[in-house]
Amino acid sequence: MFPLPPPVLAHNAASRPLTLSLPRASPFATSAPLSCKNHKLSGAAVDASDPETNRAGLRADKYTDGLRLNKDWAANTARDHPELFPTLATGQKPQILWLGCSDSRCPETSMLGLQPGDVFVHRNIANIMHPGDLSSGAVIEYAVKYLGVKHIVVCGHTSCGGVAAAMGNKELGILDPWLLPLRQVRERNLSLLQSLSDEEAALKLVELNVREGLSVVTQKSAVLNAIQERGLQVHGLIYDVASGVLRELDIQETEDSLKHRLLAFKTE
Amino acid sequence: MNRLIRPSLDAIFKKNKEWVATKTNADPAFFDKLSAGQSPDYLDSRVPANEIMGLEAGEVFVHRNIANLVPNVDLNVMSVINYAVRHLHVKHIIVCGHYNCGGVKAALTSADLGLLNPWLRNIRDVYRLHEQELDAIKEDDKRYNRLIELNVIESCRNIIKTAAVQQSYENNQYPIVHGLVFDLRDGLLRDLEVDFESMLQDVKKIYCLSPGSKTE
Repeated sequence: MFPLPPPVLAHNAASRPLTLSLPRASPFATSAPLSCKNHKLSGAAVDASDPETNRAGLRADKYTDGLRLNKDWAANTARDHPELFPTLATGQKPQILWLGCSDSRCPETSMLGLQPGDVFVHRNIANIMHPGDLSSGAVIEYAVKYLGVKHIVVCGHTSCGGVAAAMGNKELGILDPWLLPLRQVRERNLSLLQSLSDEEAALKLVELNVREGLSVVTQKSAVLNAIQERGLQVHGLIYDVASGVLRELDIQETEDSLKHRLLAFKTE
Repeated sequence: MNRLIRPSLDAIFKKNKEWVATKTNADPAFFDKLSAGQSPDYLDSRVPANEIMGLEAGEVFVHRNIANLVPNVDLNVMSVINYAVRHLHVKHIIVCGHYNCGGVKAALTSADLGLLNPWLRNIRDVYRLHEQELDAIKEDDKRYNRLIELNVIESCRNIIKTAAVQQSYENNQYPIVHGLVFDLRDGLLRDLEVDFESMLQDVKKIYCLSPGSKTE
């Protein structure tokens, strides 16, 4: 409808094969050198983008499986927990707000061994908490004020693609402004990160990002009020995708630091 | 005050350990395989994506927000779509709503919800787009539930407006965008049977960002 000038997008160049196989130097690669050598993020994606397999079998795949397995899951869940669906249909009273990464290897409800209805969830790229982001802001506001959650968890994880990207310097379009807070943390901790091996530095940035996320969350007045008035707890966790185990960060803060936070951020 | 923010998730960690043990017993290589990479799909919902689809960790890339909205200017959801399509090469994008959604009901009440107003206003916009159809539904619950379906379909449309989806589909014939609604009463997913091809053609009349492709 709208005539546009010739494409300038590199991947539309006629001379290049139009496959989407992951480049070897993917900015998100969490395989070597940023992680263990056996962490091949690109493996599955490269196979799946083989042109031969693109069309055939696209519909007979995980999506079709998922819709079929949903019927089994619903029947089994209704059998094992007969009260669950009738209760869920009347409303939700989750105790936990989970702020985690979109990464498919981090299924929060499964890894916690909990049930539907237990965890209110927001997941985004690299579990980044932007102070002005309306999406996560609305989730936190709703969970704290209207659902009255007792715990807020910010959870990062090992071999995080977003962290790997922020440790590199490749331009990524719309992802760049999203990853900005990660780069800010990188800048503030540059000498520490440079003193570490690539793998250690990536893991350190995962941890620093969780701490930064918690800092942003606890700058919100709704959260500060709930901490003071009803004992809302905040937690920082790191999930190890290679073992399935959650590790809790020590996020104790001094009385002084807390006092400053309340002075600067609490509104009535 | 420190007492209040001191971590105490013992029960959770116990459950997590049980889950790890269960997974490892059933498949000793489970976590090794997981750490070797992900080939996920993408799902947005207020219900646990993996569990309801009976899929394992590593199979579904997930973004969840209030009322499964895909606002055109939300950097958060746009980053997720971009990453999932251009870097993970997902084959399917699922928008999943659920009936009896409190968020949608809240969006239609005449109340000032402060910070939530701008986010929930997107749902009111969907109502305005389908005002005649919705107004004709007399029963409140049925009208809400139809709005939930229309909201899912609108999110599908917004996903299809992105350059990442249009270009990837042109070059690879994926991802395909689906609209589902989860029914909390029985745990079943209902496919709204969004006709992806025809919605794509329709969207591209105005929102075409893949200059190599043809619009009809």
